[in-house]
Amino acid sequence: MKNIFSNFKKYWFLMKQLMSRDFKVKYKRSVLGVLWSLLNPILMMAVMAIVFSQMFKFKVEGINYLVYLMTGIILFNYFSLASNMAMTSVVENFTLINKIYIPKYVFPISKCLSVGIDFLLTLIPWFGIIILSYFGLGEHTCTITINYLFLPYIFICLILFTMGIGLLLSCVSVFLRDMFHIYSILITIWNYLTPVFYSVEILPKKLQFLMNFNPLYQFINATRTIVLYGQMPSLENIIALTAFAFGMLFIGSAVFKSKQDRFIYYI
Amino acid sequence: MIRIKNVSMKFNLGIEKDFSFKQLFINLFSGKMKKKDYFWALKDVTFDVNKGDVVGLIGSNGAGKSTLLKVVSGVMKPTSGKVEVDGVISPMIELGAGFDLNLTARENIYLNGAILGYSKKFLDSKFDEIVEFSELKDFLDVPVKNFSSGMTAKLAFSIATIVNPEILIVDEILSVGDIKFQEKSKNKMLEMINGGTTVLYVSHSLESIKELCNKVIWLDHGKVVMMGNTKEVCDKYYEQQMGR
Repeated sequence: MKNIFSNFKKYWFLMKQLMSRDFKVKYKRSVLGVLWSLLNPILMMAVMAIVFSQMFKFKVEGINYLVYLMTGIILFNYFSLASNMAMTSVVENFTLINKIYIPKYVFPISKCLSVGIDFLLTLIPWFGIIILSYFGLGEHTCTITINYLFLPYIFICLILFTMGIGLLLSCVSVFLRDMFHIYSILITIWNYLTPVFYSVEILPKKLQFLMNFNPLYQFINATRTIVLYGQMPSLENIIALTAFAFGMLFIGSAVFKSKQDRFIYYI
Repeated sequence: MIRIKNVSMKFNLGIEKDFSFKQLFINLFSGKMKKKDYFWALKDVTFDVNKGDVVGLIGSNGAGKSTLLKVVSGVMKPTSGKVEVDGVISPMIELGAGFDLNLTARENIYLNGAILGYSKKFLDSKFDEIVEFSELKDFLDVPVKNFSSGMTAKLAFSIATIVNPEILIVDEILSVGDIKFQEKSKNKMLEMINGGTTVLYVSHSLESIKELCNKVIWLDHGKVVMMGNTKEVCDKYYEQQMGR
């Protein structure tokens, strides 16, 4: 355990460099630059809001649907983008891995973190909608309470969970490049299986129970409980999301660790 | 300092084929059995390198020199055998492998430095020295993709040699840049060698091997053919190569 931390500390500077590389390359030569990180989610939210609440007339009784929808979207988008980029990161950096000794975990982990920074930026417009709900945006207002302080814990757990998935996928994709294609289908299915734009109550009772085994539902549900109702998530909810986060991280790192020495043969 | 004991390295050549359905399909109809497609890049290699030794590795293309360097630097784990290394390694296997071409020279100094395992403090303090040595002061804020290959190599060499490593691994890099820079980089190498750095040096230039090394290992098809005194091994190697 101590070993892991000292190793992590040693390569933290490298991970920071990789993250800042991601940002610099992304916005090189664009006129608005880093502003896109903020503008992008705002525009995306505007489109989603119009599509779902104006065209499809989606609604969830008694709460602000716009906030409901956005919460689902930003959490799911973080997961899908970060896990996807983490998956390709090891294969993408093969030329480097083949030349210099670097612990290979830095690639998926730094990807999850750099998408995490983007995620933090999307929280700004998201929080903006929550405040605007007080001023007549949407039908119901949110209630901002002290429970909001629990949100960072949920987000950290989501990032840890994503890292676990990312480590696992990046490892699998080294041996089976088809994974890139398979995963893009899987993530679409997963998106529809998660109540991002619909409410879990429209499902039959049996399916509602099964939803508890969807990790992303646990993260999204906990966040919504806090944001929309101003309440603490239920104890089962907290335990479940904690278990998913640390369990997945453990499985992902265990698989990655046991297979990483064989990566070099599959370049 | 470096102890290599019975190291063997096996590569599977057919790995890409084995994994595709297409190949499986073709094999099914052509009735071809899957043949064993592997070769030994290194076979039972054993040697010791003491502190301060400058060891040259010679051999024809594909003899296993670069694989050996990768095993020592930890990029590859040997299939069997043991590698023990005491001390900090600075690998100069391929210069500029860690560059991102879209970033400027300044940004790449930090990125590549981090990849080589330097700390931020170290890079901050050595930044000017790196720039000075690379002779690229006027191009610091130019993306590396616009550099000529010589300029890229100069920058990479300057970053890689800024440390005083205990073990230096060098793979054919002394021929970078213009004549002036070649001279400068050779002097830098000599300076490191005189400072007590242990060096593993791969080159096809027997001249530079004779000039720098005090011990030579001759590899052929993954096996050690001969090792020992520089002049003796080099002469034997030259004879054998030319006699063919």
